[in-house]
Parts: sequence; structure tokens; C-alpha cells
Amino acid sequence: MTKLQTFWGSFRMSLLHFFADPQWIIPNIIAPFIFTVVALVLFRNVSGSVALYAVLGGGMMGMWGNTLYGSGFALAFDRWNGTIEYVLATPSRLVWIIAGRSASNAVLGLVNALAIVAVVVLAYGSMFAVANPLLFLLALILTLASLSALGVVFCSAFLLSRSAQVMTNGLEMPIYVASGSMFPIALLPLWSHPLSLSLGPTWGIDAMRYAADTSYTGLGFGYWTDLLVLFASTIAYLAIGFWLFMVVEKKVRRDATLTEY
Amino acid sequence: MGMTLGDWPPYRIFWSSAKFAFKALFSWLRPAMWLTQLLVLPLFQMAFFVYLSRFVNPTATGVAFIAVGNALQVASFSSIFAVCNLTSEEKWQGTLTPLIVTPASRFPLFVGRAMFQILNGMATIVVGFFYASMVFGVDMSRTDFLALAVVILVTCLAMTGFGLMLGSVGLYMRTAMIIANIFLFIGLLICGVNFPVTVLPTWLQPLSYAIPMTYGTIAARAAVQGSSVTELAPVILQEIGAGAGSIFVGYLLFLGFEALARRRGAFEEF
Repeated sequence: MTKLQTFWGSFRMSLLHFFADPQWIIPNIIAPFIFTVVALVLFRNVSGSVALYAVLGGGMMGMWGNTLYGSGFALAFDRWNGTIEYVLATPSRLVWIIAGRSASNAVLGLVNALAIVAVVVLAYGSMFAVANPLLFLLALILTLASLSALGVVFCSAFLLSRSAQVMTNGLEMPIYVASGSMFPIALLPLWSHPLSLSLGPTWGIDAMRYAADTSYTGLGFGYWTDLLVLFASTIAYLAIGFWLFMVVEKKVRRDATLTEY
Repeated sequence: MGMTLGDWPPYRIFWSSAKFAFKALFSWLRPAMWLTQLLVLPLFQMAFFVYLSRFVNPTATGVAFIAVGNALQVASFSSIFAVCNLTSEEKWQGTLTPLIVTPASRFPLFVGRAMFQILNGMATIVVGFFYASMVFGVDMSRTDFLALAVVILVTCLAMTGFGLMLGSVGLYMRTAMIIANIFLFIGLLICGVNFPVTVLPTWLQPLSYAIPMTYGTIAARAAVQGSSVTELAPVILQEIGAGAGSIFVGYLLFLGFEALARRRGAFEEF
């Protein structure tokens, strides 16, 4: 119960922080939005379902951008504001606090994604139709959970470093590329495929495309296999994230490097 | 005894500010992290747009257009994002007020602060062109490297001027981070980085031509195809003009926002 209370308290606090200064949604939303519009301009002379790649990809990027920046800056802001010692000194485990923040960022990321899809659909007409809304929603929720879990994994590294914001900038684009957010991963070099397939969002976006377009062939494993791998990878990320937090938390306490910035 | 260049106050302020900014940056940023950023950011930004292009238009010309455009645009992380945030960062560190009360001229002070980012931007573009040639297969056999070097230098200087202009709002507003983010990426859409400016709606094109990067992408593509400095002179001069205009407008905005922030007591608001 205490863990859930911690999670919920942190989730709520994070949302309140966001609503106190909502202008911060702009940095998270601007890159995915511009990338989507660039993709739609590049796809302007191509028929078929390529627009689906652009719009769904933009939505996924919106969720990832928010989760990554939320995780990266959650601890950086605590460092800058001098509150990180208090956060760590509470009897609640840090990982549950971070999980709450990460989940809240993912939920806000969903708002980002919806905003991107809405603006693009309004600007470019009704090119976005979902064949199976229920399966789409299921894939979307699991992708959101997967991104959130990935945020927890990365956040443990941000606790170690003073350069969280630099790492955040560096991690945004690799996930966009490796997960094939806007193009098939078959286009990427063969050696990079295992890396792409180890990312939950790769399977999530594939599942969403299956649900949205009945003629989509994608990775070739089908919707339910995608969902199974997505679920398994999310559990794996959570396990890795919890373990990393245990190790990192001990290390920063021992080395007294928590407030270095 | 005559006065040497080193005694000339603007020169002294410029170098002192440049050295201070360099030391301050590397007091928190480890060189290894800076190097990683230098090597990773261009690679993945270029990869994203090159693969996007290969998905719909797998011709070598289409890929080269995008690879060269993005190789130049990656400098925006330094020349727009980092430079635009200079004033906000002073605010966050609590050093803006002591800086503003000094009698030092604002122009050499803040241009000095941006000096390292000009070099950083140039290094990023060089890395970008290396990837364009070695990873994304852009044919650079006909490239006029002197012309390309001039384009890189002018683009970084002009874009830094543009970044300083945007950063002036950070004096008065709580943060320039929002505007920095918008202009970091908007170049991908309106500066001819991924497609020609002519594809954009007519009403948007004047904005494209007000940003130095637009001229930079045109000149860089021409240099890669073998155009010399003399042939590129008109475009380069237009880019210099756009950069100088940005610096001039930026300086006026800076003085205006400084006066406004003094009157409203906004220097410590963040």
C-alpha cells in the first residue's frame, strides 16, 4: 500500500508541477510535431498508407519525447532546486517516486500525441482512420506503459550524472530512428535490427499500425505477437529499472555525488 | 606608451567573456560527454531524415539533398539552442543581475559568451559532412572544400547572431528555453533543409529568407556540387546580410528587454 501511495503521490505532484507551468509542453511537443509535418511534406506525392507512418510515428515520438524529458529533468530540477536530498531522505523508495513521475509524464505524453495527431489531421484533412479502435487503444496503452518503463531505466543513469539534460538530448533521436517510428526498420542496416527489436516501442508502433490498417504487413509477426513482446519487454525494463535504481541509489549515497551539478 | 589591442575595452571584455564561458561550460560538462554529443547528435538526426527520404524517394539525389541539408542544420544545437539559452542560464545560476550591473558593453560581453558555440557549431557541421560522405553515401568528389569551409564559417557566425537575437527575450521572460526549442527545430521545416523552400506556402517563404540557415543550405549544396567561392558570393553575401541584420535587431531587442526587465524587476524571475 505504501508503495502505491508513494507512486500516486509522486504521480499527482508531477501533474501539479506541470499544470503550474504548462508552457513546458512546447519543448516536448515541438520536435515530434515538426518531424511529422516534414514527413508529410516528403510523403506528399506518395499514395498508400505512408501517411499512417507519419501520423502514428509523430504520436509515438510525442509520447517518447515527454517521457524522456520528464525523466531526465525530474531529477535535474531537483538537483537545481536543492530538493534532491529531501526526495532521497524520505523513507519511500526512490524508484517508486520516479515511477510515479514517469507515469505522469507518459500520460502527458499521450496528450502530446493526441495534440500532434489532431493538428496534423486538421491541417492535412481526414487521412487518418483506425480500422480497429479497441485493438488500437490496447496497443497504445501498452506502448505508453513501455515508454514509461524505459523512462525509469534511463532515469537511473540521470541520477548518476550531472549532465542529464545532455543525455536527454542525445537519447531522443536514437529511439526515433531505431524504433522505426516513421519508416520500416527493414530500411536500417541489418546489424542494427537486434537493437531495434529489443525496444518495446518498435513492437508498440507495429501493433498500432496493424490495428489502424488491415492491409499493413509490418514486422510480419502479427498484432498479438507484437503485443506479447511489448508486454514482456515492459516487464523486463521495469525489472532492470528497479535493479539499477537499487545499485545507483547506493552508489550516489556512498560517493556523496548526489548534489554535484 | 600607445594603447595595444589588448587594452581596448571591447576586445578585453570579449576574450574575458569567451574564456569564462568556456571554463564555465566544462566545469559541469565532462569532455567525454561533449564529444559524445558532438558525434551522436548529427548521426541520428541525419539518419532519421535520410531513412525517411529513402522510404519514399530512394534516389541518390533525394538522399544527398537531405543529408547535406541536415549536416548543416545540426549546428543549430549550438548556434541556436545553446546561444539562445545564454541569458536564461545566467538567470538560473543567479549571475545575470551581477552581470547586468557591470558597466561592460553588452555587445562584446554576450558575443564573447557565444564564441565557443561558434566553434562547437563548426565542429558539429564537419562531423555531419563526414557522416554524409562516409555513412550516407553522398558523393563529395566534386566538392569545392574552400567554398564549403567558407559556407560553414559564415553559417555558424550568422546563425549565432540569430541565436543571440532570440536569446534577448530571456532577459525579460522567465526563460528563453521555449523559443530556443521552437527555433532549434523549425529550421528543419522552413530553411530548405529537407525540401526546397519553394514547396512551402508563399506567405511563409519570407520568414525562411529572414533566417541565415536558408542561404547556408543553398550554398552548401552548391559547394558540394563544385561551385567556387566566387560563384557562391551572392548567396554568401545574402547570408552575411541576414546574420548582420539578426545581430543588429538582436542588439536593439537586448537593450529594449534590458530596460523593460529593469523597470519591472524581472531579472530574477525564472
